[in-house]
Amino acid sequence: MAVPILKQGDILIATIQAALSDADLLALRDDLVNRVGRFRSRGVIVDVTVLDVMDSFAVRTLRGIAHMTKLRGAETVVVGIQPDVAFAMVELGLTLEGMEAALDLEEGLLLLQRRMSGGSERDR
Amino acid sequence: MKADRANLVQSPDTLAQMMGITDTEIARRKEWLEFTEEDVQRIASISDFARQIQDEVIDGLYTHFLAFDEVRAFFKDSQILERVKALQKAYFIRLTQGSYDRAYVEERINIGSVHGRIGLDTKWYLGAYNFHMRAIARRIFVEFAGEPEKALEIFLSLVKLEFFDIGLALDTIFAQREHTIRQQQDAIRELSTPVLQVRDRLLILPIIGMIDTLRARQLTEQLLRSIRDTRARVVVMDITGVPAVDSRVANHLIQTVDASRLMGAIVIVTGLSAEVAQTLVTLGVDLSKLNTVGDLQGGIEQAERILGYRVIQTEVAAAPFAGA
Repeated sequence: MAVPILKQGDILIATIQAALSDADLLALRDDLVNRVGRFRSRGVIVDVTVLDVMDSFAVRTLRGIAHMTKLRGAETVVVGIQPDVAFAMVELGLTLEGMEAALDLEEGLLLLQRRMSGGSERDR
Repeated sequence: MKADRANLVQSPDTLAQMMGITDTEIARRKEWLEFTEEDVQRIASISDFARQIQDEVIDGLYTHFLAFDEVRAFFKDSQILERVKALQKAYFIRLTQGSYDRAYVEERINIGSVHGRIGLDTKWYLGAYNFHMRAIARRIFVEFAGEPEKALEIFLSLVKLEFFDIGLALDTIFAQREHTIRQQQDAIRELSTPVLQVRDRLLILPIIGMIDTLRARQLTEQLLRSIRDTRARVVVMDITGVPAVDSRVANHLIQTVDASRLMGAIVIVTGLSAEVAQTLVTLGVDLSKLNTVGDLQGGIEQAERILGYRVIQTEVAAAPFAGA
């Protein structure tokens, strides 16, 4: 199932709608990396609110998205990780190093806007 | 009525079960003391003699007891004193009656649990047994003056039996205390760790008491839910009340911090004491992932900076009782 990607100004928003297969994840990655270049985006938000499981492949792919978009000039923020998912990830030793996480879409947008206006987290 | 209530709270039967006193265990205890059928017969042989001397032995015991204020406090009422004395005499006679079976053991456990419940220190309890043994020894050796070897054997048999009883009573007292400690630990664990909101988007999580795996899990789950519900961006976790932090506890804390980060919240850990800091550095625990500040105040101040709050002192409010 393909993941719709919305463009909102400088930011791309990918909202995952249902559990994804590994192939879907890879398609999402390729799609995002392409579009970052095409739209000259500076931020990417991946919304995982609906996911109640994040396996190591999903985490690795997300990390891949973050690193690849970074190389093309866009920051990636993962939003909407649920408490149970967060806990399970930590227990499995899965981390999102190299990328940011935010509570939900709204927070993610705020975070990216602050980043893009040049300020760091501390001096909002 | 008191006894009824006590039975409701904890019947000696369940106590015996809790202590793992089975028929095999009773046999093992006797084996350990080398308490045999011969001992039973030797003790039985003095049952008439025991009846003769019971009054003077027990009266002597209580005269000795009542010289001590701490013990006297248990016998404020002369009725209680008389009743306990009667029980002691009955016990003395019972000692020489044979059949030291399950029923006998349960009786001993019951006595032990009563002593445990009234909080009689074991030193008084052991002292009483010691006095009892000495009093009996003297009288046995007088009674069997012509046969000192026989007297010694009888006395040694009695000593074995009394040690058997002491062992049961003490184990009961310890089992009760351990039971109480376990109950209290459960109670502490069940006390939920509060997650408090001090400002919009700012939570504090004061942790008090030991952190084990189970508690760390509960705590993390609760914190994550609170982060989602209050949309918190910063959490100040204060561990001033955590008595010991070793590498295991530190790992739990790191997990909590990582999980919070996945939900987009920054965690500031405060209240690491000098000892804790020393332990962690000595153990080589990597805390580079933790954002630590000395105390809770500093943590809240930093959190406010991150959230963009600025506290300004406008004017000093008049002290309520100034000039009064």
